[in-house]
Amino acid sequence: MTGPETGPATGPMSGPATGPMSGPATGPMSGFTTGTMTGTGTLIRLILRRDRVLLPAWIAITALLPASIASATAGLYPDQAARDSFAAASAGNPAQLAMRGPIYDASVGGLTAWTLGSSLALIGGLISILLVVRHTRAEEETGRRELLASGVIGRHAPLAAALAVVLAANLLHGLLSVPALVAAGLPAGSSLLFGLSTAAGGWAFAAVAAVTGQLTASSATARGIAVATGGLLFALRSLADAGGLGWAAWLTPFGWVRLTRPYAGDQWWVLGLIAVFAAALAGAAFALSARRDVAGGLLPARPGPATGTLRGAFGLAARLHRGSLAGFAIGFGLLGAVLGVAARGLNTQLDTPQFRELAATLGGAEAGISDVFFTFVMYVLSQLVAGAALVAALRARGEEAAGRAELLLSTPVGRLRWALSHLAFVTVSPVLLLAVLGAAAGLTFDGDPARVTVATLAYLPAVWTVAGIATLLSGLLPRLAAAVSWTALGLFLVVDLLAEFKLATGAVLGLSPFVHVPALLLGSASSPVAPLLGLTAVAVALTAAGLALLRRRDLMPSA
Amino acid sequence: MNNAAVQADGLVKTFGRARALDGLDLTVKTGEVHGFLGPNGAGKTTTIRILLGQMRADGGRMALLGGDPWRDATELHRRLAYVPGDVTLWPSLTGGEVIDLLGRVRGGLDPARRTELLERFELDPRKKCRTYSKGNRQKVALVAAFASDVELLVLDEPTSGLDPLMEAVFNECVLKEKRDGRTVLLSSHILSEVETLCDRVSIIRAGRTVESGSLADLRHLTRTSVTAELIGPAPGLAVLPGVHDLTMDGARLRCQVDGDALTPVLAELARAGVRTLTTQPPTLEELFLRHYEGAAR
Repeated sequence: MTGPETGPATGPMSGPATGPMSGPATGPMSGFTTGTMTGTGTLIRLILRRDRVLLPAWIAITALLPASIASATAGLYPDQAARDSFAAASAGNPAQLAMRGPIYDASVGGLTAWTLGSSLALIGGLISILLVVRHTRAEEETGRRELLASGVIGRHAPLAAALAVVLAANLLHGLLSVPALVAAGLPAGSSLLFGLSTAAGGWAFAAVAAVTGQLTASSATARGIAVATGGLLFALRSLADAGGLGWAAWLTPFGWVRLTRPYAGDQWWVLGLIAVFAAALAGAAFALSARRDVAGGLLPARPGPATGTLRGAFGLAARLHRGSLAGFAIGFGLLGAVLGVAARGLNTQLDTPQFRELAATLGGAEAGISDVFFTFVMYVLSQLVAGAALVAALRARGEEAAGRAELLLSTPVGRLRWALSHLAFVTVSPVLLLAVLGAAAGLTFDGDPARVTVATLAYLPAVWTVAGIATLLSGLLPRLAAAVSWTALGLFLVVDLLAEFKLATGAVLGLSPFVHVPALLLGSASSPVAPLLGLTAVAVALTAAGLALLRRRDLMPSA
Repeated sequence: MNNAAVQADGLVKTFGRARALDGLDLTVKTGEVHGFLGPNGAGKTTTIRILLGQMRADGGRMALLGGDPWRDATELHRRLAYVPGDVTLWPSLTGGEVIDLLGRVRGGLDPARRTELLERFELDPRKKCRTYSKGNRQKVALVAAFASDVELLVLDEPTSGLDPLMEAVFNECVLKEKRDGRTVLLSSHILSEVETLCDRVSIIRAGRTVESGSLADLRHLTRTSVTAELIGPAPGLAVLPGVHDLTMDGARLRCQVDGDALTPVLAELARAGVRTLTTQPPTLEELFLRHYEGAAR
C-alpha cells in the first residue's frame, strides 16, 4: 500500500555490468582477496540509482562555484591595488582568519582559493560523511544489507562500493571545476591542484565516516561521531589561523586543503598527506569490518531496563531528542570556547586602520574588535545551529516515515499532541544551543557570559524560522520535507556568499532570515525589537500552518 | 448495525490514479473474531489505516465502535489496541520500555498479564529494539496489545514473523480474548489460524469485498470435486447448471460441482450407474485460491 509512485519494472542493477563504474573496485582496498569484494559493481550501481538526483546536483553545484567566485572576485577587485587592499583588510580580520584561514596570494586565483577552500572542504566533508553512513551503517541498521548480503556480495563490498562512489563523486566535482577556472583566465596547473584539493577534503571525511560506521550499531551515532570529529578538526584549524598558531594547521585536513597553496606556490605534495590520511582510515575501516558481525558494532549492545518509565508522548520525545541535543550542546560549547580563546587579545593585536575601517562600515565605529569578530562568526554559526534545529524539526517526519508514528498514533495519543511533543524540543533546542555557544565564548573570552549570549540569542527567531519551514513542509509535502528543508538552509548560505560578493542585493538578500537579525554587539542604529518580533511571527505562522496541514492529511509512512 | 464494532460501507480510497479501495464493505460484530483476508495489495492495510484514523477515505462510510474513526480518533483509541503488520520500534528503547510506554498511553496495562505474556512469548524485555528480529518486534507489540484493557484488537498479519510454537501461543491468546468478550479483527494469510480462530471472514480483492460470512457459509460457496467410474453414459451431466471443468476419459469422469448442484448431479450419476465414486469436500485452500487467483493475473 504505497502512494501513487511507480517506477521502472527492471532496475539498473539487472543485466550485464556495463556501467562506467562496473569494474572491480581498486584503490586503497585492493589488498584484499577478490571474494570479499564480489558484488561491489552491483552495489555501486544500486548507490548510483538511489542517489541519482542528489549526486549530480551536488557535483554540479560544487563544480560551478569556483569559477563563479573567481569571476566575481575579478569583477569586484579589477586591479592588483584593489585586491591588495582587500587582502590586507581580510588578513586583519580574525573572523575571516577563523573561517577561511590566511590569504596566501592576492591574485584572483589566490583569493578564490581562500574564499572557497575551507567551505568546500566543509560542505564536501559533510555530504561525504552523510553518504558513506547512508550506504553502510544505515543499510545494516534497517536490515536491507542483510537482504543483499545473503546474495553474492562479499563482506567488504558494501563499504568498498560506498567509498568508491563518494571518492569518485568528489574527484568528479574537483575535475569538473577546472575547465571553467581555466576559461576564467586562471592557470591550468594551479586550477587542477585547487580542484583536487577540494576533492581531497571530501575524501578525508568519507574515510572518517567509513571508520565511525564500523563502531556502533546505530547510524545516528556513527553520523554524530563523524560530524563531531569534523567539527573539532575545523575548530583546530580556526584556532591555528586566528590564534596565531600556524603550525597547528598542519594537524587537520581542513589545514591541508589550504596548505596545498593553489595559485600561491602549488605545493602538490600536500595532496599526498591527505591521500595517506584517507587511505589509512579506509584501511582501518576494512580491518574493523572484517572483525565484526553484520549489523553488529565494535561497541557491544548492553541490555537495558526491563520496565519503562516513559510517561507518554512527551517522555518518548525527550528520549528521542536528548541524545542529539546533548551531542550538539557539547559541540557548540567546545566551538564557543575555542572562539572565545581566539578572540582574546584581539583588541590590541589587530588594532589596524583596515580593521577600524571595516568596523566602521558595519555601523559600530566605537565597537571593539572582538565584537566585530563575534558578530561575524556568530552569523555563520547561527546557521549551523539552524542545521541542528532542522535535525530536531525533521524528527517527527522521520518517525512517521519509519512507521513508528503509526504505532504510537493508534493509541489515544492524538496527532496534535504527538506533533507538539516534538515541537517542544524543536523550540527549546536552539535556545539551549545558542545560549551554550554564546556563554562558552563569553566565558573563555573575558569571563562574562552574558554579553555574547544576548547576541547569539538574537538569532533565535531566525533559527525558529528555518525550523518552521521544516514543520510546514512536514505538513504540506511530507515525502520531500527533509530534502527541501535542507536545500532551503543551503540556499540561505549561498545567499550570504553571493551577498558578500555583491552578486545579490535587496530582495534576494532579504529572503534569508539571518540577514534580518540585528547585530546587537555593534549597537545597530534602529531598534532591534521590530525585526526580531517580525521573524518570530513568521516562524509561528509557518509552524501553525504546518500543524494544521498535518492534522488534515493522511499519515504517510515511506514503506 | 448498532452492535457492530466495525461497519464500513462502500469505502473508496485512491492514491493518484491507483484505486486502493473500490467500494469495500466490512462488518465486524461485537465479540467475534473476524478474519480479514485478501492477496497482497488487496487493500487490507489501507482499510486498517482508515479504521485507525490515519487516513481519510475518499468515499463511503466507516463507523468504529459507534464513532467516526477520523474525527473521534483519540477517544476511540482508548478502546482499541493495534499490532501493525510491519512492526518498527524505537531502536534505542528496550522492548520492556516500549511495552510500558504503549500500555501507559492506552491507559495502563495489567502487570501480572504482562509478566505472563513475556514468559509465554519467551521475549527478553531488556534487549534494545534495534537488536530484535521481526518476530521479536511483533511479540513486543502483541504483548503490549494483549496486556492492555481494550474492547477491540486490530491485528494486521500478526504472526507473519512468529515460529509455529509462538503461533500456538498467539492462538491461545486470541481465544482467551474472545472468551473475555473482546472483538478481534485479524488480517491473516495463514489458513489454519483463520480456521482455528475466526467466527466469520471477509475476503477482499482489488479493493472490494468478494465474500463475507461464516466459514460454514463460505464452504457452501465452494465446489466439491467429483471423480467417478461410470457403467453407462451420462449425457445430461454436461448441461446441468453448477457443473464445471467436466472431463470424460473413457468411463472415467471428473468434474467440479457447486454446493447446491450436488443433488441433481448425484441423481444423474445414479441413472448412469456408478462403479466407483470419490468426492472431495471443499477446502479453505481452494476457497482462497479461487479468490486469490484473480488478483494474480
